[in-house]
Amino acid sequence: MALLRITKRQEPSPLWRSALVFTGAVATALVLSMLLLTVRGISPLEGLSVLMTGAFGSSWALQDCLLKAIPLFLCSLGVAIAFRLQIWNIGAEGQFALGAVGATWMALSFGGAPKFVLLPLMILAACIAGGLWAMIPALFRQWLGANEIIVTLMLNYIGILFLDFLVYGVWRDSSGFPMTAAFSENAIVGKIGASSVHWGLAHCAVLGLLCRLFFRYTRLGYEIKAGGDNVQAARYSGMPYSFLVILVMVLSGALAGWAGFLEVSATVHRLQPSIMVGYGFTAIVVAWLARLNPAGIALTSFLLAGLRAGVENLQLDLQIPAAFGSILEGLILLTVLAGGFFLSYRILFKRRV
Amino acid sequence: MANAAPFIRLDQLSKSFGRVRANHNISLEIRRGQILALLGENGAGKSTLMSLLAGQLQPDSGHICLNGEEVVLSSTEKAIHCGIGMVYQHFKLVENMSVLENIILGQSKSFWLRRGKLAAQVAELALNYGIDLDLDAPIRSLSMGEKQQVEILKLLFRKSELLIFDEPTAVLTPTEADQLFATMREMAAKDKAIVFISHKLEEVLAIADEIAILKQGEIIDQLKPSANLSPAELARRMVGRPVLLQVQRRELETRQTVLKVQGLSGDGLEDVELELRQGELLSLVGVAGNGQKALVETICGLREPKTGTVRILGRDWQDFFATRHSETGLSYIPEDRQGLATCRGLDLLDNFLLTTRHGFSRGPWLSKQAAGEKLEKLMQDFNIRPPDMSLAAWQLSGGNLQKLVLAREFYRKPKLIVAEQPTQGLDIAAAEEVWRLLLKAREEAGILLVTGDLTEALALSDRIGVMFKGRLTALMQRSDQAAINRIPQLMAGLSTEDEPIHEEVMQ
Repeated sequence: MALLRITKRQEPSPLWRSALVFTGAVATALVLSMLLLTVRGISPLEGLSVLMTGAFGSSWALQDCLLKAIPLFLCSLGVAIAFRLQIWNIGAEGQFALGAVGATWMALSFGGAPKFVLLPLMILAACIAGGLWAMIPALFRQWLGANEIIVTLMLNYIGILFLDFLVYGVWRDSSGFPMTAAFSENAIVGKIGASSVHWGLAHCAVLGLLCRLFFRYTRLGYEIKAGGDNVQAARYSGMPYSFLVILVMVLSGALAGWAGFLEVSATVHRLQPSIMVGYGFTAIVVAWLARLNPAGIALTSFLLAGLRAGVENLQLDLQIPAAFGSILEGLILLTVLAGGFFLSYRILFKRRV
Repeated sequence: MANAAPFIRLDQLSKSFGRVRANHNISLEIRRGQILALLGENGAGKSTLMSLLAGQLQPDSGHICLNGEEVVLSSTEKAIHCGIGMVYQHFKLVENMSVLENIILGQSKSFWLRRGKLAAQVAELALNYGIDLDLDAPIRSLSMGEKQQVEILKLLFRKSELLIFDEPTAVLTPTEADQLFATMREMAAKDKAIVFISHKLEEVLAIADEIAILKQGEIIDQLKPSANLSPAELARRMVGRPVLLQVQRRELETRQTVLKVQGLSGDGLEDVELELRQGELLSLVGVAGNGQKALVETICGLREPKTGTVRILGRDWQDFFATRHSETGLSYIPEDRQGLATCRGLDLLDNFLLTTRHGFSRGPWLSKQAAGEKLEKLMQDFNIRPPDMSLAAWQLSGGNLQKLVLAREFYRKPKLIVAEQPTQGLDIAAAEEVWRLLLKAREEAGILLVTGDLTEALALSDRIGVMFKGRLTALMQRSDQAAINRIPQLMAGLSTEDEPIHEEVMQ
């Protein structure tokens, strides 16, 4: 009789196994979602090919991927900082919106200022707006014991509606559409060479590196890591836990705000409701898939951005509803999380004698 | 008394974790009606062996035979079904439910809970084994000893034939321990098999029918207690070298006051007064749960004093903890090594930095390299195994983790040390080492030692205080033998004026 035995692994899994499990999980999610396509009478192979071409099939597609990966990366880097301390910031979407609003405020108020003044000013305003927005749930958590998951989640809707309120109201363009006037030339982050990718990519590289250095070499970074592993031990060793909670939330919100700045300044050159496409929510998926590691976040942002681009292609070519993208994203998260089982447990097939 | 086939026979059992051989070719017979004591140093493989028996781990090779037939204990349910029950050090009881409810929890096969019938069964069982418990009392109102009795009843009710006790006396008063031994004898007489793990050698010699000694995963010795087998001899066989089992303590000149507690009440404490000076070791003995935790947490800054004052190193509590950093000279060695003193997911270097991080900081930067060099030396000095600081804390055995905490806290050269059960779960060689370290640290510091182990208190203290129901009911000099003799009664909350002193309790 064959016997299935599950035992806990006593040592951490090596890298190759993690890579294998990750690839296997993504493949499983793709197969499952392609099966879903057959329900609509579409050949799964055709669906897969359209998806992949749309995502990574041409230089134009790859550039589109990078463009989508930039805000995803920054939002994800932000939530990952909070997750390190086991603070669940589900509010990157709202912080992104506030960052875009902050940057726009500067762009509209000081449109005539030179570039080297205006851009830093916009970044600063975006970070402060996003950071303060994220600080609200942190304060509620430490003062009132309010659950940060609920508060950050709810503040998303307030943030998004606040953005709408502005563009439908005081900031509405003379054209009458719900959007601000186009930014002046000085408020725009330019493209890299002849490509469609903007210099925000460089911002990502620098911020990602800073983030890594922060956790590796600074005392505060260490305290966040330790506090995330064991709150009791943090209290025991006299760490300023409340301060750390507020700090990670502000940093988290500032990074999401920065992403909002890049989106208005580099991609659409104005503030409009269509910038809110759920990067802040996907960022949570990215952070988890990458296990909060900056390099992993970069790679995963690119892959999930590719999925978004691919699903857009599916929509165009095969008339698949947009919700398919969310289903695919959800499936990948589920399969990868479930795949974690194989990293911490070993399964043995034994033949009983 | 012994049956033809042993109840459990272990045959060449081996279990490795990576490169570490936790158990190697272990063969052992556990017989009905006998109390088998299992001895060994930390990391000798006792816990692994017990986990194999309890179905939590599966052996890499070898067999387990139950009544002469091979069984595979693939899960804890299977082990319970086979009649193997564990009494863990940390009780697994639902605090808000009654004794009876805890015992019958999950035991009723039918949809309806026939409470009256089950209650009668439990009461009869308790009577049979001479256990005196109020079945309707909620668990939270019980003493540690009574909770342990509930655990035992729970196993008996599940018809366990083998009862495994993991350091059962660590949380008991001397009187409660005697009661436990009586119950164990009673169970053995009723043909149950008992396995007993302990680091207290006198206990082992007093109660065990047979003793097995584990070292580096192998059984190196199996013997029966006899008149010429002394604790020192047992310790020598276990450690492989002579162990003194005592430390040289000499009186020191006491210097400045490092801790002064006045009229501290609240959080279960009532009007606690004490003073501690540099060069002095003050032990607080008492059964766990009599206010020690609240007192220690207050002194160490984890909770604010409600009423009364606490002065640490000459500064007010508020002032001291408002400007706290690692050079402030207070070291706290908590009982809960895993939950409070270390982060299980972080590596040993990060764990070392927990309380020493300010010493390795320059501005915002943290010099892990400098810390690593220090830790490497400390790990050698304290003989922490395996000597690899990239391991995560959870990969270390309890004893080695405790040594890491001690190495870290002593490294900070504290002026006030609060040590809570510092040797609980440590083997005698390691415990002796810790005792020596504490006495050495006493030269520069005042030490407040909270312990449930009288032997430890007697070996180390200059003064001893007894805690009962949140009060410091007595405070005595170590040299005051008459007062010392009354400690067991004081621990049980008996007023000592009109009680005769039972000489046999103390040796």
